[in-house]
Amino acid sequence: MTLDNEKHPIDELQERLGADWKMIAKAREHAVTSRARLKEKLSGLDSEDTSIVVFGSLARDEFTSGSDIDWTLLVDGQASPEHLDNVLEITKYVREVEGKPPGQEGTFEGLASSHDLIHKIGGSDDTNRNTTQRILLLLESATIGRRDAHDRVVKNVLRRYVEEDYGLMRLSGPFYIPRFLQNDIARYWRTVAVDFAYKQRQREDKGWALRVTKLRMSRKLTYVSGLLTCFSCHFELFKGSKDTFDESSRALAIVEYLFNYSQKTPLEILAHVLNRFPHLDELARDLFDTYNEFLEMLDDEQKRDYLKNLQRDKITDDQIYEDTRRLGHNFQDSLTKLFLEENDTPLFEMTKAYGVF
Amino acid sequence: MRPIGFSTGALAFGDFRRALKMLDDKPVDAVELSALRVNELPILAGAVDGLALSQYKYISIHAPSSFTAEEEPRVIQLLRKFVGLGWPIVLHPDATHRIELWREFGDLLYVENMDKRKPIGRTVQELTVIFNELPDALFCFDIAHARQVDSSMTEAFVILKHFGHRLRQVHISEVNTSSKHDRISRGAFRAFREIAHLIPQNIPAILETPVVESEIKDELTRAESSLRVEEVAVVWSPGQFAIQH
Repeated sequence: MTLDNEKHPIDELQERLGADWKMIAKAREHAVTSRARLKEKLSGLDSEDTSIVVFGSLARDEFTSGSDIDWTLLVDGQASPEHLDNVLEITKYVREVEGKPPGQEGTFEGLASSHDLIHKIGGSDDTNRNTTQRILLLLESATIGRRDAHDRVVKNVLRRYVEEDYGLMRLSGPFYIPRFLQNDIARYWRTVAVDFAYKQRQREDKGWALRVTKLRMSRKLTYVSGLLTCFSCHFELFKGSKDTFDESSRALAIVEYLFNYSQKTPLEILAHVLNRFPHLDELARDLFDTYNEFLEMLDDEQKRDYLKNLQRDKITDDQIYEDTRRLGHNFQDSLTKLFLEENDTPLFEMTKAYGVF
Repeated sequence: MRPIGFSTGALAFGDFRRALKMLDDKPVDAVELSALRVNELPILAGAVDGLALSQYKYISIHAPSSFTAEEEPRVIQLLRKFVGLGWPIVLHPDATHRIELWREFGDLLYVENMDKRKPIGRTVQELTVIFNELPDALFCFDIAHARQVDSSMTEAFVILKHFGHRLRQVHISEVNTSSKHDRISRGAFRAFREIAHLIPQNIPAILETPVVESEIKDELTRAESSLRVEEVAVVWSPGQFAIQH
């Protein structure tokens, strides 16, 4: 999702480190070709008012052999009964031809209205499903075909987070970051963590080992990318100065900046930020080596199925589970060094200021 | 003071004489003579020398929005008459078949950004492609099209940041969900004011709102106020909104 004239930040990082993250590249290529195929097959089911939006690994450029296709038809314009016909066509194709139905939560595969996503931020109407769709729209979504409606909704959601953030509009805090947005991203991450426990009980531990691995890796990465998006406003957009924009342009400049970030995948955002801090190259290597290994595990059908069926009471001394657990811990150790230790970046001070309270 | 006026096509579709008559005693000093349909162009070209246009300090021509590849050279030939008078030509970029033919108008060609139905000319990226083909052309910013493409006004902001140096005219109206021009609503008024500071006060504004004669003055006030940088208060009451300077 990088713009054509920019070098892909993961390639830039990989070249500088002399690394070879084959699985990250393979998953990206798989995602790009899969989205292109879906675009061709689902052509004509979208319009200037409707976008077919994909989420999850397909949007993150982390598409592996066992990945689901999480999608929704996002409507931003005149309502029409034909929208449901189009949903049914997409459902049929994704289920029957691609053979990849979405996950069991019912968050995806259907219609989503821009009104709910834009207007229902917080409050009792902001359901778990609405929060999930809204935050994932910002952090890990891509379009299959026409992107008009998607882009309008993302920008309008961002506009709400920015214009209603009075601290940000007045640049009153020590760091110029969108805290309304950051709080909602943090809320989403905590919801994911709480829902992990909920699903554990609801599903009687079925799929537990695979889910916990994803929680420790891909879901955490999405949260990390959200944090970096918000934090980077201070050091990348504002360059630490109140005078970067005049007051009349401030809100739209921040929305534009956040929108451009929303076009990047979580791994791209991580690489993009790490490219700013070459003194953290060894940390970058650890993060991406670990993530590459995680994607290799997901792409190995045997291991993936094994983890999916592994019972929680059988994990002790299980080698495959231990390997994935180690990945999760390595990833967390590196993130701890990035966010929670002094490392000559502003990230530690920002996390201290806004990461918990 | 910003020159302000109407598009003749908005006031009286296909009848520029009637539109000009409607504007006779109104406080307008700019006008866009519209030949949106290709068959209007030769009529306008033939009549222009006899039109009473002395009240206008700014005049532009809206080129037809649709013509065939075979008609394109003839359209360009007819438009040369207006360029000879020093009047700029406002062009929908999606109407062209051979865009290079339009280079001859140089900086008297104003490319307009398009509404969301159109396949090109809607965003910075799409406009960049067009201006690469027409490097001397200038820009007519249709604020309603920009809002329809992106109601957050972020794209409008980005467009003006990128092409502000080319900006020479503004089209103002509201465009509804059916892509038809409409009167400026309170929501549009609010949205336009978010980017008004990026539109210099000397840039002419042409209204494309389809109003009847009795509504012209009120609509001019709405348009003029929505592009003002100074604070104005908007008071809404059922059926209308009023602007307090």
